[in-house]
Amino acid sequence: MEKREKIWFGVLIFVALAFNIFSLSPLVPWQQWLLWSHPIPTQSVRVEMGDYEIRLPSGGIQVKTNEYMEFVATSTDVTYGFGVFRQDGTLVFQMQVLPGYENKIVWKFDAPGVYDMRSTEYSGPRHPEMFIEDAILVTP
Amino acid sequence: MTRIGWLEKWTLRYAVVGLLFLAMVGFEGALIRTQLYAPESLKGFESLLMIFRPGSAEASSTEVFYSMLTAHPIVGIYGFAYMCVMGAFYFLVPYLLKTEIRHKKLVSVNFWLQTIGVLVCWGAGFFALFNSLYTLYWPLPVAYDRIPLVGSITFGLGLVMIEFNVLLFGYNLISTVVSQGTGQFRSFGQYLCSAFGITNLVKWFSRKKTDQPEPEQPPVFIVAVARGTIDTSINAIVILSAGVMLLIYGLPALLAGIHLNPGAVDSLIYKNWFWWGLDMVADGNVLMYTAGTWYLLVPMLVNRKLYGENVVRWVILADLLVSLFVWSHHLMGDRPQPFGLRLLSGQFVTWGEFITMGLTMFSVMMTIWLARPVKFTPPLKFIMGSIFGFAIGGFAGLVQANTGLNLVLHNTQWVIGIHAHTQLLVGLGMLLFAVIYALVPLLTKLEIRSQRLVNWHFWGWIVGAMIMTYAMGMAGTQGMLRRTIYEDRLYQPYMAVALVGALLMTVAFVLFLINILSTLGWNNTLSLIIPERWLKTHPDKAVA
Repeated sequence: MEKREKIWFGVLIFVALAFNIFSLSPLVPWQQWLLWSHPIPTQSVRVEMGDYEIRLPSGGIQVKTNEYMEFVATSTDVTYGFGVFRQDGTLVFQMQVLPGYENKIVWKFDAPGVYDMRSTEYSGPRHPEMFIEDAILVTP
Repeated sequence: MTRIGWLEKWTLRYAVVGLLFLAMVGFEGALIRTQLYAPESLKGFESLLMIFRPGSAEASSTEVFYSMLTAHPIVGIYGFAYMCVMGAFYFLVPYLLKTEIRHKKLVSVNFWLQTIGVLVCWGAGFFALFNSLYTLYWPLPVAYDRIPLVGSITFGLGLVMIEFNVLLFGYNLISTVVSQGTGQFRSFGQYLCSAFGITNLVKWFSRKKTDQPEPEQPPVFIVAVARGTIDTSINAIVILSAGVMLLIYGLPALLAGIHLNPGAVDSLIYKNWFWWGLDMVADGNVLMYTAGTWYLLVPMLVNRKLYGENVVRWVILADLLVSLFVWSHHLMGDRPQPFGLRLLSGQFVTWGEFITMGLTMFSVMMTIWLARPVKFTPPLKFIMGSIFGFAIGGFAGLVQANTGLNLVLHNTQWVIGIHAHTQLLVGLGMLLFAVIYALVPLLTKLEIRSQRLVNWHFWGWIVGAMIMTYAMGMAGTQGMLRRTIYEDRLYQPYMAVALVGALLMTVAFVLFLINILSTLGWNNTLSLIIPERWLKTHPDKAVA
C-alpha cells in the first residue's frame, strides 16, 4: 500500500467510525431509549391489521407527552407497515408488520397534538386506503 | 463499417435490445412519475390500454399502477442492465483472454431466453395485472384475493426463465475463462480460488517463504468478472427459488383448485432468504461488475496502468465478505429481526461497502489523475458520471442503512429516489452508456457521429436524473412513501420537479439514440435484427 492509499484508507475509516458513533449515540433522540435506556413503557397498545384495515383499540390511543408507550402490531394475512405521521405528513416513526409475529416498538412523543397512522408497506392494490386520520392523541 | 464477426454482431444485438428495454422502462417511469404527480391524469390512457386486457375490464387505476410498478424494475434490471452486461462481457472476456466463447450456441440461447423471460414478467403485469411488486414479500404474491392467480403463475414462469438463463450465462463465462488455457486458470477450482480471493490470500501468506518469481496473475477485470459471476449465480438461485414458489402455490390452485397454506412459509425467514439473494445483484453483482469495468476501461482510455492494482485485488476479496453478509440492511424496519443482525449485517457490514467502494473509486480516480493531461472521450466522461452516481447513491444508502435513521427513512421516496435510482440511472446507467460509447467504435471501426450530441446526452442525463432523484429524496424526508399514491396534493411540488427531471432524461436518451443510429446507419442497425439473407438482396446497403 502506498502512502496516498494509506491516507485515503484512514480517511474512509475515520468517516465510517464518526458516522456510526454519531448515529448510535443519544444525539439521535430515539436511540436514547431504543438502544440505551430501555425504559418500561407506561402503557401498551395493540394494533391489528388485516384485510386492508387498521384496527385500533376501542377508545382510541391517547398518551401524554414524554411518556413511553409500547405499540404491538400484528397482521392476520400479509405484511403491512405501521407508520405514525405528523399532520404535515412528515414521518415520526415506522416498522414493518410481519404476519405470524408480534411487531413491537417503544416510542416517546415529545410534542402534543394529533397524529395520523398509515400502513407503510405495500399490501395489495388497496394499500393507499390504509390511512387513519387523527389516530393518536398526545396530550401535554 | 467493416465486416464484423458473429460475436460482435451478437454484442450489438444485446445492446440494441437492452436499449429497447431501457426505452420501455423509461416510458413506464414517465407514466409512474405522471401518476404520482396527478393520480387521475392517466384515466384516458388506462381506458385505452384496457382494449389489450381481455377479462380485466374492472381493473382499478391502482391495480394498473402497481402492475406497472412491479414490471418496471424487472425490465430495467433484467432487460436493460443484464442484456447490456451479457453482450459486453460476451465480447470483452474472450477479447481480453484471446480465446473464444466456450459454448457459442449459448450466446444466442441467452439472448432469446433473457428477452422472452423479461417479456413474460412484463406481460404478467401488463396483461394479467400481477401487482405484488418485485419484493414479493411472502405471502402477498400468493394472496389470490388481492393478487391475480394467472398473473402470479406467469410472473413466476418469467422469473424462472430469467434466472435459469443467468445461470447458463455464468456457466458459459466461467467455462470460457477456464478453457482459455494460458495458465491463468487451468481448472474450475483455480477460477473459484481467484474469484473468492484465495489465490491472493495464499500468495500473501507464502510471500516470505519463497524466492521464486511471482506467477502471472489474471487481469483484474477477469477476477472482478469471476467474483461478480459468483454473486450473480447466488442471486439467480435465490430468485429462481422465489419463482418456483409462485408456481408451486399457483399451479395447484389454477389446475385443481387446491390452495396450499401460505402460512407454511415463515414470512421473516423468507424475507431474509429473498434479500440475501436479491442483494447479491445490488451490492455484489452491480458493484463488482461495475468496478471490474472501471478497472478495464479507465486504463485503456487514459493509456496508463491501473493505480493500486494490488490493493484492488484485496478489495475484491474483502467485498466478497461484504456482499455475503450485508442483506440485513433491507430488514432494518423488521422488529422481529434479531437486533444483532440489524446492527452487524444491516449497519456495520454495509459500511464495509463504503470502504471497498471508496478504495475502488480512489484507485480509478488516481489512475485518471496520474495520466494527466487526459482527453475526456465520450466513454471517459460517462465513467466519471458513473463514479459520481455511485458516490451519491451509495452514501444515501448508508444514511438509511442505520438502526436509528431507518425509522424515518425506510420505504420512503428517499430509498428509491436518491439511493436506488441515483445508483441505477447515474451509476450503472452511465457506465453502460460508457461501455456502448467504447465498444461501438471498437466493434465497427466507426467513430461516434456527433460529439455535441454526446455532450447533450451526458448533461441531459446526469442533470435530469439528479433533479428527479433529489426531488424524490426530499419528498422522502418529508414523509412521502415509495409505494403509495396520495390522493391529496401534499407532495405534489416535489413530484412536479421529479417529473421535469424525468422528461429531461427522456430528451437526453432520444439524443443518444439519434447519435448511435446515425453512427451505425439504418441499414447496419437493421442488419442486427433482420436475417442477413433478406438484406443480401440489396448488396449495396448490406453491411456485414
